[in-house]
Amino acid sequence: MSTKEQNERIELLQGTLDLLILRTLLLGPTHGHAIAKAIEFRSDDVLQVEQGSLYPALHRLIKRQWISVQEGTSENNRRAKFYRLTAKGRRQLAVETNKWEALAGAIARILRPAEREGES
Amino acid sequence: MRLRKRMLDDLDQDIRDHLERETQDNIERGMSAEEARYAALRKFGNVTRVKEETREVWSAVWLEQLLQDARFGLRTLWRSPGLTVAAVLTIALGIGVNVGVFSVLNGVALRLLPIPRAEQIVSVNQIFQGRFARNIHGESSMFSYPEYLDYRDHNHVFTGLVAYEPSVEATLSGGNVQQLVGTAISCNYFDVLHEHPGQGRGLVDSDCAVPGENAVVVVSDGLWRGRFAADPSLVGKRITLNRTAYTVVGIARPGFTGTEPNPSEFWAPITMEKALESGRDRLADDNMSWLALLGRAQPGVTMQQVRADLGVIAGRIDQLHPGRTTSLAIRTATFFGSPEERSFLIPVASVILAAFALVLLIACANVANLLLARATVRHKEIALRLSIGASRGRLVRQLLTESLLLSLAGGILGSLIAFWSFLKITQFLISHLPHGLPTFTVNVAPNIPVLVYALGLTLLTGIAFGLIPALQSSRLDLNTILKGDGAHSGPGKRSGRFLLNALVGSQVAVCMVLLLAAGLLLHGLYYAQTVHPGFEEKNVAQALFDLRAQGYDESRATAFVEHLLERIRGNPGVIDVALAECAPLSHDFSTDHFTVPGRADKVSIEYNHVSPEYFSVVGIPIVRGRGFRPGEAHDAPAVIVTESTARQLWPGQDPLGKTLREDTGREDSVIGVAKDAQVSHLGELNTTYLYFPAGPQDDLRTYVLVRYAGGFTDVAKGIRDASQSLDHDVSVDVIKLEDNLEIWRAPSRIVAALSGALGALALLLASIGVYGMVSYSVSRCVREIGIRVALGANGADIMSRVLWQAMRPVLIGGLVGVAVCAGVSQVLSSMLFGLSARDPIAFVCVPLFLLAVALIASYIPARRAMRVDPMVALRCE
Repeated sequence: MSTKEQNERIELLQGTLDLLILRTLLLGPTHGHAIAKAIEFRSDDVLQVEQGSLYPALHRLIKRQWISVQEGTSENNRRAKFYRLTAKGRRQLAVETNKWEALAGAIARILRPAEREGES
Repeated sequence: MRLRKRMLDDLDQDIRDHLERETQDNIERGMSAEEARYAALRKFGNVTRVKEETREVWSAVWLEQLLQDARFGLRTLWRSPGLTVAAVLTIALGIGVNVGVFSVLNGVALRLLPIPRAEQIVSVNQIFQGRFARNIHGESSMFSYPEYLDYRDHNHVFTGLVAYEPSVEATLSGGNVQQLVGTAISCNYFDVLHEHPGQGRGLVDSDCAVPGENAVVVVSDGLWRGRFAADPSLVGKRITLNRTAYTVVGIARPGFTGTEPNPSEFWAPITMEKALESGRDRLADDNMSWLALLGRAQPGVTMQQVRADLGVIAGRIDQLHPGRTTSLAIRTATFFGSPEERSFLIPVASVILAAFALVLLIACANVANLLLARATVRHKEIALRLSIGASRGRLVRQLLTESLLLSLAGGILGSLIAFWSFLKITQFLISHLPHGLPTFTVNVAPNIPVLVYALGLTLLTGIAFGLIPALQSSRLDLNTILKGDGAHSGPGKRSGRFLLNALVGSQVAVCMVLLLAAGLLLHGLYYAQTVHPGFEEKNVAQALFDLRAQGYDESRATAFVEHLLERIRGNPGVIDVALAECAPLSHDFSTDHFTVPGRADKVSIEYNHVSPEYFSVVGIPIVRGRGFRPGEAHDAPAVIVTESTARQLWPGQDPLGKTLREDTGREDSVIGVAKDAQVSHLGELNTTYLYFPAGPQDDLRTYVLVRYAGGFTDVAKGIRDASQSLDHDVSVDVIKLEDNLEIWRAPSRIVAALSGALGALALLLASIGVYGMVSYSVSRCVREIGIRVALGANGADIMSRVLWQAMRPVLIGGLVGVAVCAGVSQVLSSMLFGLSARDPIAFVCVPLFLLAVALIASYIPARRAMRVDPMVALRCE
């Protein structure tokens, strides 16, 4: 059931979606669709989330109490669920961000050996 | 959880909102309404799976799925009642026999003693190493009285330690003489075991204060009801055991029969030992094994602590006996718990359990076969579910749930039947044991270990027969199946066929092993029934006079025996009378070490003390030299050897006049050679055996053998009357000498019957398996056959083709089975009498028989293949 679309975009690494959601919510509480949009927009459309996978992730974060949920009205005056970062989630975001940067840095160093060898 | 419920309830709405927003965005980007909707859906992904995954976040989902699977499974099973009933019955049969056998083994070897707080009771046995001499009365792992006192007084781990001598025989006189089996116990026995007598009291410490005093006794509830007609005033009365009057102080709780498998009818103080069994003073002997030990561990004390603490005492006792090292075997107490019994029980139990597990395996293969066949029918359903997004793991889980439901139903049904039927079977077997075997009780009622075993076996069975079909049928080529070519694109036709063949092959292999074992056993049984023991067992009566146990000393015993023989000889029909220390095949053995002058090594040889008439009464000819002469007393340095003994000790020489030296230094010279006879172990030919002349010492415990002409009952009555007229209180049991052979044959007979039944069961299951496999594969190639027929193949060609396909796995499985059984039979032949590991008859007949059955089982469905009408076959799909 794979479609062509899936093959062309960059797939998210396991667990990174959680991080992206937390980071998005740092800007303020918002609803599900807006989170998906924000991730796409802020990554210049490189990261295309299969939007459905947002929901298991949101529920997972709620269960871990990293985000909370409350009813609200959206910009076009419709009822919607607003997700909000909790204090615990904020701490978790810091931890995850550090981990991610360390990982990304390490991978980047390995992938550019030529430059580094040139420097030394 | 409230949060969970709210989140999940709103999930549908949330997803709908999400899709609407996305659609709206797309429309704003200039798409048409329909296009926008599709783009939104595409971007969102599989809605059902998202919902499923979201639900799974809230954990307890597996439980929900399980219930869902179970409901679905039940519905599916309900829809195909034929298959369900067949599968459930097959499993019930397989699990039932296994659970039943286990409940018997559990009753024999795993159950705790039937006393309060039995889990605290610890049995202590010793295992000796090194070169030393020790007197044994019972089993070598038992203790002497001084050793018991040492352990009792110096341990720090028991609230109490009891010692007892099991199976003390005593004659209850007064009215009818009756032979009882009782126990000589240390006087803390009832206290430590928390056994409170139903009436009166148990024994107390003061009962054991002075050896030989305090003739008190506790009798069993059964004895009280049976012999004393539940006399309410029995406590306080006196009864006579082995000529000593004992005061009854208590009657044991109903159902308490002691701490040994054979029920005890009375309990007397161990200090009355000498009165119960006259002879040497065992209480003072610090080097005699005769007492079993049971301790009640203090609360909180672990087995390690018990071992460590008692080990210290054992080490100290060892210092008194140079050259001896003792290790202690300490276990939670059960029946048959001594090292000797366990070293026999464990291998036997493993072989039995393994044999029954094999039958279960065949049953599993049959059910797996059924499920595989059905899986073909369900391909479309499964393919559909896979294509709309069910994960393979989920599907396997669902199929497994179904098979577990089947095995649960079968397991419960089988266990219930087993609990009931094995209770009856054991009762029947125990009450029909051949005369002369000791009675014993086995509690086969289910308890926790049995239930755990049944449940474990059931789950294992469900997985065993369900896993392969489940994995197999969830690996599908979706495209072909959904396009409608259903019947021909199973889970990879080739691998499906291979799996079926493997199942059938292993069934045949297992069945072959069981049948061959049964064949070997039956042949061995036939041999056991027909073998001639080398002596004339017919028309000889045998009676054991244990006068020592009845309080006789040597001179009185000699007088008694002398008069007894005189009176028996005077009876009509009596041809001759002989005395023997061990009657032929009576399970009485005496062995000693001898040296042959001129040779350094000691040889261990079994021997017997016999009167001169023995050889003619029992019908063993003296082939060289002479027999014993009347008056040739026990002390005469004469010995008669068997032919085999002569051959082994003095090969190629004349044995007459040769000497044998006993451990005591005495030398005996050979005066005659007797023909070989299987007088010690039935089935053992060519073993060494010696005969010494019987003397006055032997009168204390002697077998009287009477050769008679005419009816046995008259002779038996004559013997009993002769004994009664001499001493009213001597009890005697007269049997036929040939009954002894029955006792030797009984185990072979029971095992042969058991394995025969098991083999038949296996054969039935395996032929159903072969039949099922062939009819399944015929039904799958109906179209192929139709084409062949249409192209001109004749019936015989098709028949032979189908048969060959069916018989190939059977042949391979059969070969494997024969090979395995060749190995197994080595083990069996060492355990059972008259069995040869390489029995040509069994190894030829059984495989031929099995092949014939398999051929018939495949012929019946194969005939259907021949009758296929090509038009129907080609049109039907």
